[in-house]
Amino acid sequence: MANAATILFEALSPMNLLLALLGVLGGTIVGALPGLSATMAIAVLVPFTFVMDPASGLIMLGAIYTGAIYGGAFAAILVNTPGTPSAIATTFDGYPMAKRGDGDLAVTLATIASVFGGMVGAILLITLAPRLATLALAFQSTEYFWLALLGLTLIATLSQGNLVKGLIGGMFGIFLSMIGVAVIGGDVRFTGGMPSMLGGIDIVAALIGLYCIPVLIGMVATPDQHLDPGEARGFRMFEAIGISLKNWFNLIRSSLIGTLVGILPGAGGSIASLIAYSEARRASSNSENFGKGEPGGILATESANNATVGGGFIPTLVLGIPGTPPDAVIMGALMVQGIRVGPSLFQSGDDTVYVFMTGLVIATLLMLPVGLIVGRYAFRFITNVPKAMLVPLIAFMTIIGSFAIHANPHDVVVMVVLGLIGWAAGLAGFGASPIVLGLVLGQIAEQGFMRAWMIGGARGDFLGQLLVNRPISWGILALIVLTMMLPLLRMRTARRLAQQDVTRDGPAVAHRQIDRAGMAGSVVFLVLAVWMLLQAQGLSVMAAAFPYAVGAALGILSLLQILRSLRGHGGINAEGGSADGTVRGFALAGTMLAWALLFPTIGLFVTSLIACIVLMLTGQFGRLTVPRLATYLACILVMVTAFYMTLDRVLNVPLPQALLF
Amino acid sequence: MGTTTRRLIGAASLALMGTAGAALAYPDGPVTYVIPFNAGGESDVTARYQQARFRDITGQDMIVQYLPGAGGAQAWAGLNSIEGDGQTIMGTNLPHIVLQPMLQDPGYKTEDITNVYMFHFTPDALMVANDSPFQTVQDVIDAATAMPGGVTAGGSATNSANHVANQIFMNETGVETTYIPYTGTGATETALVGGEVDMLWGYTTVAVRQGDATRVLAVATEERHPLFPDSPTFKELGIKMVGGAYRGIGVPASTPEEVRTQLSDIIGEINADPSFREQMENDGYALIDVPYSEMDTFMAERIEAYTLIAEQLQSQQ
Repeated sequence: MANAATILFEALSPMNLLLALLGVLGGTIVGALPGLSATMAIAVLVPFTFVMDPASGLIMLGAIYTGAIYGGAFAAILVNTPGTPSAIATTFDGYPMAKRGDGDLAVTLATIASVFGGMVGAILLITLAPRLATLALAFQSTEYFWLALLGLTLIATLSQGNLVKGLIGGMFGIFLSMIGVAVIGGDVRFTGGMPSMLGGIDIVAALIGLYCIPVLIGMVATPDQHLDPGEARGFRMFEAIGISLKNWFNLIRSSLIGTLVGILPGAGGSIASLIAYSEARRASSNSENFGKGEPGGILATESANNATVGGGFIPTLVLGIPGTPPDAVIMGALMVQGIRVGPSLFQSGDDTVYVFMTGLVIATLLMLPVGLIVGRYAFRFITNVPKAMLVPLIAFMTIIGSFAIHANPHDVVVMVVLGLIGWAAGLAGFGASPIVLGLVLGQIAEQGFMRAWMIGGARGDFLGQLLVNRPISWGILALIVLTMMLPLLRMRTARRLAQQDVTRDGPAVAHRQIDRAGMAGSVVFLVLAVWMLLQAQGLSVMAAAFPYAVGAALGILSLLQILRSLRGHGGINAEGGSADGTVRGFALAGTMLAWALLFPTIGLFVTSLIACIVLMLTGQFGRLTVPRLATYLACILVMVTAFYMTLDRVLNVPLPQALLF
Repeated sequence: MGTTTRRLIGAASLALMGTAGAALAYPDGPVTYVIPFNAGGESDVTARYQQARFRDITGQDMIVQYLPGAGGAQAWAGLNSIEGDGQTIMGTNLPHIVLQPMLQDPGYKTEDITNVYMFHFTPDALMVANDSPFQTVQDVIDAATAMPGGVTAGGSATNSANHVANQIFMNETGVETTYIPYTGTGATETALVGGEVDMLWGYTTVAVRQGDATRVLAVATEERHPLFPDSPTFKELGIKMVGGAYRGIGVPASTPEEVRTQLSDIIGEINADPSFREQMENDGYALIDVPYSEMDTFMAERIEAYTLIAEQLQSQQ
């Protein structure tokens, strides 16, 4: 290995700096648009890196990756839709902050946290990579199962208003994760006989639908501005730094969680940020504020998910096992360049890898200025654009975003349908986040458990394989118990206090009404549970075990909720409660559905143009003057053309062969 | 270098070589090469290796596009709705295109796919971690005989090439192992090196990447792989196992015979390039040459071999 100065000098060459800057900028934008992923952006740019010097190419790819993970926060904060799965937990507090007029502060906090987390991950990558890589090997299927359960305990946190409804949502999410060909057993499950469902429900498409469609329906329900613009206050940098300093321990803990979870090839940024969020809430003195716009929540999730970038490169470079999908693409690019990752890389004396890691540090630092400027622009844009333009813009992004994932029109239909289900569930008091958690973690839990079962069965020691002989699992289980116990203890104290109040003021008169919506929802879930149990009978043992367990749990919980609803225990999950169905809301839902169904046959450009005009009229409140209408129409034409060309020409996404274009 | 400049140079070099018969020129413009999997996998890397040579030979660009979903089924189900002018071609994989329609309804049938050339395969390799007590395949057989089902063998997915390899191994040796499916090759590598499974059904490409961390007990090639001169073939050990995951190129059914043959010739020419062969073999791939004219025989053979295995896999469910 050459000396550090040479490496630093090479990494800081003007060309590499420029590439890092462009990479971060491009990555941030791609990350902010739901559906467009770092994997896609990197894959498109890989051929260009072949003509570059290997180190420069890699620096650019790394910069895109880290920028995209950061960019996911923008959509999470401003539109309540995670731009990438890593930003799921950022919506919990980011969107409430934006709603109350602190969107600018939230974006600045996300930027500081991302830079901090990214730096921790990158520094650990440079200093301790070979040693930390052993963690990837120490984690086996069993540990992934327990890790998924730890993530699922967050449902309890997220369903403060009504735990039973939250749990039902979680079970529904796990059900969604089981649709398609079972990895273990190979059976086809819950597809309803449709070949298009064999691939299962794509998590990104589900995220876009579940989070974004209810926001859109809410937007057209009232003439109010989408977000409160607040007065111009600059970046609110000092305020944000002050909050970050107060949360210094939270930042360090979350960054370490992010790096460690990033090392695990089966986990990734979404799980890292969920666990960091859960831990931050548990440790915080104002934990009841989490989910209502607590800055500490954003700091936790955004530092954790950017720390996974450095963490994910650890197994990629040291073991030759990609930590995340973008790592896999970068690894492929390295192989084509003739650089073989894996155990020999660090001994080969090739400087490229060190130049690359230094470049990652530089790219992370560049996120600060780039992020602040892009963030400020995005915030102003979202708050200032009139609703009549914002509605078609966001709707169009959901359509092309869900299409671009696999260039599959089917994903778009799934996105809209799940969005409408999420909206209806929200009306009945079922929050979207428990469903998303179940969907993201369901497969990890199921496969981890079933593998432990098979391996334990082969070795004749199932319990040993699942828990007894696995010290890391003990640790995760202890965390699960701790996370579950603390809220219960707090609840008991709260109840005791409340009882004291009651005895003082005399018994409160119970005015409880039957929760009709909640009951209707529970009946639907009960029917689903019965269907699951019936379907599971036709499956192999390996593929049926989880459907039986989840179906039974869903059935019992739904029955319980039906009884509770009758007795008036309605209750709405923290972030549940959709906007009521208005005429405009139904018009929007209908337009989205028709758009998703018709664009593969008629053509993406034409349907998008028509749908955007309809949505523009749906989002327009008050009188529409002719010059204004002309401006709107022109904007829609430019917008649709620009995105269409980007998909077709820049990102190389194969568009369906339609009647028109 | 811009695309136009590149195209101009390509056109110029073609003119210089004096290739006559411009009317029949294939390819006519850049060719889109659809990979039915995510970027970063074997299909992608080998397509990238072909990419540059394709341009050298034809003077046209080859654009790699990804259409992942349902283990490749999404792309293959849509293959025949693409215009059959040879300007869009698609990667095809075995045993996928045979096993998927046999075991479920993926929206296409094996005979719907027109394969033009099979250009390489990743040979099945039986691997163990370097600290494993298994030194030879015989050690594995002895252990599995002593405790039927007690030896765990990892692999990627159910009803996959790895699963097929495990089944053939059980058929040929008469022992019983427990197959543990994972999501993707990366997860299987951690499982093997971390000691979760006793052995792994992988490919020579995986073994190359893992280097000293793993040991290859046997490889499913006709002759020893140049990168693993010390690992015997299964054939040497008296076990009839030659094969792995095959990769080729397919076109829509509406593609004219002439274009199919021309494309087959181009891919064959790339396969014959010594620098291409070296690059592929260094990564652990094994090159094969099944041109369009021999495709029907090759496919018939493979289908017959997989049919029996598919029945056995299904009866285990």
